[in-house]
Amino acid sequence: MRIPQDVPARPAVGILNNPAVPGIMEAAGSLIEYVEVIPDRLWFDFGSGERGGRFQKAHGTIATLREQSGAQTMVGHGIGLSLPSAMPLDQEMVAEIASLNDELHFAWYSEHLSMFLMPDRSVPNAQAGLGLPVVYDAETFAIVRRKLGRLRSALGCPLLMENPTIFTPVPDMDMTEQEFLSRLWVEEGVGTLLDLHNTYANWRNGGPEPREYFRQINANAVMEIHLAGGDELDGYYTDSHSRLTPPEVWDYAYEFGPQFPNLRGITFEFHESYFPRIGLDGVVAELEAMHALALHVEATRAPEHAL
Amino acid sequence: MLSEFQQAFADLVSSPNLCREVRERPNVLRERYRLDDREARRLLGIVTHPRMAANCTLYRANRLAPLALNLPNLLRALGPDLRHVLDAFWQEHPRTDVHFYVESYRFCEFVRTELERGRRLGPDVARALERDAMTVADRLEASHTEIYSPLRTPFTRAVDQ
Repeated sequence: MRIPQDVPARPAVGILNNPAVPGIMEAAGSLIEYVEVIPDRLWFDFGSGERGGRFQKAHGTIATLREQSGAQTMVGHGIGLSLPSAMPLDQEMVAEIASLNDELHFAWYSEHLSMFLMPDRSVPNAQAGLGLPVVYDAETFAIVRRKLGRLRSALGCPLLMENPTIFTPVPDMDMTEQEFLSRLWVEEGVGTLLDLHNTYANWRNGGPEPREYFRQINANAVMEIHLAGGDELDGYYTDSHSRLTPPEVWDYAYEFGPQFPNLRGITFEFHESYFPRIGLDGVVAELEAMHALALHVEATRAPEHAL
Repeated sequence: MLSEFQQAFADLVSSPNLCREVRERPNVLRERYRLDDREARRLLGIVTHPRMAANCTLYRANRLAPLALNLPNLLRALGPDLRHVLDAFWQEHPRTDVHFYVESYRFCEFVRTELERGRRLGPDVARALERDAMTVADRLEASHTEIYSPLRTPFTRAVDQ
């Protein structure tokens, strides 16, 4: 199955939405072609049974995004569904995401190939950092596929899954991560959100060499790449979204970006708590560099790029 | 059983003590969870991995984040008791509430109960607790965006009392 799509020659440049982004839009809006929205940050989840409803929305932020959506493309990036978890899909949350999609019209929607929820415990990810690795086998694939099918029915837009950061790989798996992602693309038409910084972080912590990892990725599946920077914590490198993209990650983007024929978007992720450190000038410089990368991809990949 | 494997993995990440126990006596895994041989071997491989400590560290850092953000006075007043109080709180509430203000208020309630039970904590804890709890209660109330009613939540009722 393939997603019908009209892939532009030059991938668009986007930014992960956070409370600092409206100010960046005012200062440098012309550099931002899409805004990637985390739905989970647009509501307060009080749990089932709360009067007034489980999800109480951040109406002001949603109104701002709705206004922006006239000029900018909106993309959804969820963290709350924990699709690989062996538990039922959170249908109430799916409905809430669909309601948001009705207002913002996501060009595509991505989720994480990580576990955040278990029946009797959750692993707080605080937007970035900790998701538990997934067992890549037929059972997990069936769970993820079934849930993605329901999510697709609810949203009606292309879906992507993001490669995770991990500290401890699961031993003795039936598939590699790249094979799992490739099967999602080939069998379900679910694209790959390739987070280059996640792969870099995994390598910094003893994981696979990034270029070797990227060579095993199904290049046709990659529809979006993520750029970000991180910090060390107790001797480990974390995907904390706390700095500008490191030079090594830029090198990967220049080397592999043109090899992804369906690449639609390049997104910079940072957390607003680090905005004082990164600064407006830093973000603007990052966005300008992303435009240069997008032009490089356009110039380098074949004209008949969309497969 | 995959769900038991996932549950065990998450329990291990949240508990360095359980990690130590499993390293010393791997059978603990099969006694507590319904696992097949391969799942048990996988978990043992994970828990003995040199970077398992990173999972545990990040788990604690991320659970601490909403409390540090919303309860700075209380955390400072707890001082050297903070670690043990957090351990007990996380033991009683294994699932993080994704709503930061609910999670923070839940911690306030926990500390309040500990004080009522006679637990001796630092001299400034009670005052810091009331100050931070009031602030969080206000923010929590403001996060009720669909219908406004100051008496609607147990959290605000607790503060009113």
